[in-house]
Amino acid sequence: MRRLKKVWRRTFWFIGFTAFAAVAVILLVRFAPKPPDHKVALARIALSEATANKADTYSRNLFREARALYDSAMVNWQLENKRFLYFRDYGKVENFADLCARKARQAAKVSKNNVTDLNIFLKQKIDKLNTIVNQIDERYSAYPLSAETWKNISRGKMLLKEAEVAYNKGDYSLSKTKIADSEILLTESFEFATNHLKEYFNSFPVWKKWAERTISESRQNNSYSIIIDKYSRKCLIYHAGVKKYEYHVELGKNWVGDKKVKGDKKTPEGMYRITRKFGSNKTKYHKALLIDYPNSNDLQELRNEIARGVLPKNSKPGNLIEIHGDGGRGIDWTEGCIALTNSEMDVVFRIAGEGTPVTIVGSMVNLDQLID
Amino acid sequence: MKNKVLMGLVAVAMVAVLSSCGKKPQAEIDAANAAIEAAKTAEAPVYVAAEFAAVQDSLNAVMADITAQESKLFKKFGPAKAKLTSIVTLANTVATNAATKKEEVKAETTTLLTGITTVIEENGKLIPKLPRGKEGAAVIEQIKADVATVDAAVVEAQGLFDKGSYMDALNKIKAAKEKADGLNAEVKEVLTKARIKF
Repeated sequence: MRRLKKVWRRTFWFIGFTAFAAVAVILLVRFAPKPPDHKVALARIALSEATANKADTYSRNLFREARALYDSAMVNWQLENKRFLYFRDYGKVENFADLCARKARQAAKVSKNNVTDLNIFLKQKIDKLNTIVNQIDERYSAYPLSAETWKNISRGKMLLKEAEVAYNKGDYSLSKTKIADSEILLTESFEFATNHLKEYFNSFPVWKKWAERTISESRQNNSYSIIIDKYSRKCLIYHAGVKKYEYHVELGKNWVGDKKVKGDKKTPEGMYRITRKFGSNKTKYHKALLIDYPNSNDLQELRNEIARGVLPKNSKPGNLIEIHGDGGRGIDWTEGCIALTNSEMDVVFRIAGEGTPVTIVGSMVNLDQLID
Repeated sequence: MKNKVLMGLVAVAMVAVLSSCGKKPQAEIDAANAAIEAAKTAEAPVYVAAEFAAVQDSLNAVMADITAQESKLFKKFGPAKAKLTSIVTLANTVATNAATKKEEVKAETTTLLTGITTVIEENGKLIPKLPRGKEGAAVIEQIKADVATVDAAVVEAQGLFDKGSYMDALNKIKAAKEKADGLNAEVKEVLTKARIKF
């Protein structure tokens, strides 16, 4: 009986201790602070979304802040884990996680907007720069700009191509850098060329007057007159004041501006007349019409420039400016003459005689009309 | 006395259960980090950026899970261990994919570099055929400038290629190839107009 009592007592104590331990564990689990795994998971998801939206590139500062907040949350969580279960406080961790999630969402939103804006901005920039490239090609492909300017244009075009490659790949950041470099080179070159052209066209009123007088003379005398439009590379032949023929011409290599001295490779500008005709056995350029360059105006101008010290005292005006054949090469190649294709030269040679007016102007059309 | 000892042991076992039921899978964490570093070294962020971001994200998730388990009374690292093992496999795959992609980009760049060399050589033969005495002509100045630009771009691309920056080299050479082809067409057009055989 005593032995049975002892067994019962021990069993009671064992059950009691186990029950106490179980209750203690339950209480500990029940009332211990809850780990912030849900909030941290939300922060991490927000960060992933921000990364997917390229916030690390297009909303860098916000993304960095979010990333730092996530790291702080994790570090604090690990520090709290080192404390006794009951004394842990995850408040700081939750705050960091909440802030991280907010910043990451903000970063994703800003990045999305930035990407959209950048896409539009870059597209517009690329289109604008391509327009400039087209204008350079249209207006200046035959314009004698300096080697340095052509180098800048070429580099600008290459950078624009690289920008387009990066844009098409979705690398907007690289595209933006390339566009910025390209824009400087292209716009500066374009402005330089435009200013140069504008300066050249300051003589337009004089050219206009010459052209009108030439056409008027053709009308009055019921005769042929020739006008060379250098900018548009046209040889216009009038009869009785009416345009009869229009041919493409090739000019001196350095055709912009009036011819000043021998060897400047410019085609002169002024009102001239044919002084001699050379048949195919008298010229190496199929057929040729010699004009009276330099005339008295050219010589006076040369003297004035020498007197002003613009040109050296021993400057010579040059001579032997002709309208001749062997043209149609697609580039300006003469030393200052005007070249036509042989078949067109045959026509001009047939209708022109000694004394036929040849007026050479920079352009028959003003610059605004040309640009339009 | 015997029973008292038994009860003591039970108590110690319970304390052990209460304090810790699992051990942080440090070896697996180290292996996953090493695999991710290897993927980085294989330039996964450059060649397979999305895949790399995904594996990095998975590791972050597992690390958060491990920290969460460390917060608990009854720790359970089994699922995290399994995930870490799969992350190692995934990171290795990403590294392999990066290497494959890098080889593809390298091959494409090599093809373009060879292609552009051929075009440059052809341009080099064609340019002297341009009409004689045209050194001052605007077209020739443009062609000369373009030739110099393409040459500089090829040198730059080759430099990037030699350094192993195949992606950057590819971007550069693509633009240069387009330019060189355009130049080739332009030179041929001038020669055709000038009735010069090439």
